[in-house]
Amino acid sequence: MLSTLRNKVVSCSYSLLGLLVVSSTSLALATEQSAFSQNNLQIHGFLSQGIAKSIGSDFVNDDQDASLELTEVGINASYKISPTLRAAGQLVYIDGGNRYADGARLDYLLLDWSAYQSHDWQMNVYLGRFKNYNWLYSSTRDVPHTRPSIVLPQAMYFDGFRDIAVGGDGIATSIKHGNEQLGDFEFNLSFGTSEISDKQRAIILSEFATGDMEHDYDAQMSIFWQPIDSQWRFGWSVLDSDFSYTAGSADIFVDTDIILQRFILNALYEAENWEFSSEVFQERFKLTGFYSPYFQRDTKGQGFYFQTRYQLTQDLKLLARFERFFANKDDKSGVVQEQATGGAIPAYFGFQHDKVLGLSYDLADNVRIQFEHHWVEGTARLTPVVLPNANINDEKYWNMWALQLMYWF
Amino acid sequence: MIELPRWLDAVDRELVINIRALAITLLLLFASASAAHAGEVQTIAHPSVNVKQLTKLELRRIFSRKQTLWENGLPIVVYVLPSKDKLHQRFSKEVLRIFPYQLDRIWNKLTYSGIGTAPVIVNSYQAMHDAISTTPGAIGYSENMEKGGNIHVINIKE
Repeated sequence: MLSTLRNKVVSCSYSLLGLLVVSSTSLALATEQSAFSQNNLQIHGFLSQGIAKSIGSDFVNDDQDASLELTEVGINASYKISPTLRAAGQLVYIDGGNRYADGARLDYLLLDWSAYQSHDWQMNVYLGRFKNYNWLYSSTRDVPHTRPSIVLPQAMYFDGFRDIAVGGDGIATSIKHGNEQLGDFEFNLSFGTSEISDKQRAIILSEFATGDMEHDYDAQMSIFWQPIDSQWRFGWSVLDSDFSYTAGSADIFVDTDIILQRFILNALYEAENWEFSSEVFQERFKLTGFYSPYFQRDTKGQGFYFQTRYQLTQDLKLLARFERFFANKDDKSGVVQEQATGGAIPAYFGFQHDKVLGLSYDLADNVRIQFEHHWVEGTARLTPVVLPNANINDEKYWNMWALQLMYWF
Repeated sequence: MIELPRWLDAVDRELVINIRALAITLLLLFASASAAHAGEVQTIAHPSVNVKQLTKLELRRIFSRKQTLWENGLPIVVYVLPSKDKLHQRFSKEVLRIFPYQLDRIWNKLTYSGIGTAPVIVNSYQAMHDAISTTPGAIGYSENMEKGGNIHVINIKE
């Protein structure tokens, strides 16, 4: 039922986007500089190009040469229909090499209804394609200048799951409350699935899986709390989603059901010149079928990262991050999996730990250059997920660096 | 009275005193000029905003775009200077009690995730005054505002 709803929402979304783009362009032309266009229509965007290289893994690309497959471009419009109703949409083109499916997509397109508002309570309802507003960096994961690093912590923001974690088509709500004694509260709830492209299917399952993968159900919830006059903010988030795979006609794999559930805690501390952030999570990955109708795997992965950023001058920021991920909390060394697969999946596919150092420099108000280096141990967050590629990824330790120039307006 | 060095005995004492007076005058002039440069930050609004007083907490909700309507139902239009502007930084830290980068982060999330709209950025004090005085529901900030014109100053309390 949700997928029918999704198809309807998607087709409505596309017509709405067309309308939005046409009307906003004509409005922008007709009433340029006027108060009307300035107050009711806003157009923003971003443009970035980088260079990235992974050494000892296929994280960026198979040949492991320095690659220009690090492009992120987007344009968005927001149009206020009435004081309590707004339409907004964003188109993006992204290319991250092997990390996710490259190409242009409709990032979000939604109707935002301000259902209730007083000076200390606000409730909004979003209908259409919305982003994931539940994790620290999930809502703008493709917008370079809003991220702490070029590549987000893969334990938490695994690029292989990008298309299914980025948002959904359906309905979402956000309730905010400001309390004079207790501080600020935010509650988010969403129901909405996403379309799974052939490339995303290959990234999750295997390039040899020729059938059809569907995102059948997705519910997400989060609560954030910032105590009064505090520099801290705390969050809690849960995710529950179901996927199904219907085997193709000459498929070597069989019909599959996948359940992905996540439980996340996060904390953020913001001081004048430095900040600290962390997310800790446990995720359940249950797979039934795929190799044979009777095959079942039900594992719980765990991960966390600690990150700090220090502002050295007004324009220069330094970054340090420590990250840990275990694909199966009951097999942290990956040895059990290695033995079970007769050595086909080496033990280092059971975890992926990362240490990152980086810096960013603002060349102008809206232009920034960013650089980072990753030292990685383990390959659990490389793609494909279900059937890993141990031929290319034959090293336990690998490195990666990236340099990106970004502009936004 | 400070004792003047002996070698100055030969010099006209009156001249020395005059030079000293001139130095003090220049110093005072300089001090008052820099005081004028770092004047009081004021929260300003279009006259249609019939609010005389706001708390810092209420103002922070308005500038972080949580509250987007005035109590009379008029949409709030927020104007700001670029985030590295000195006056913006003072308004942010002294009045809103939030660091400018935190505001940028809140506004970026609104702008690039579709969840809301960020304030409109203007590039000069004059553009800020023009926008506030001609836009119903507008709010922004200024320093050393002269009374009069189509602008209303909101009193901010703790």
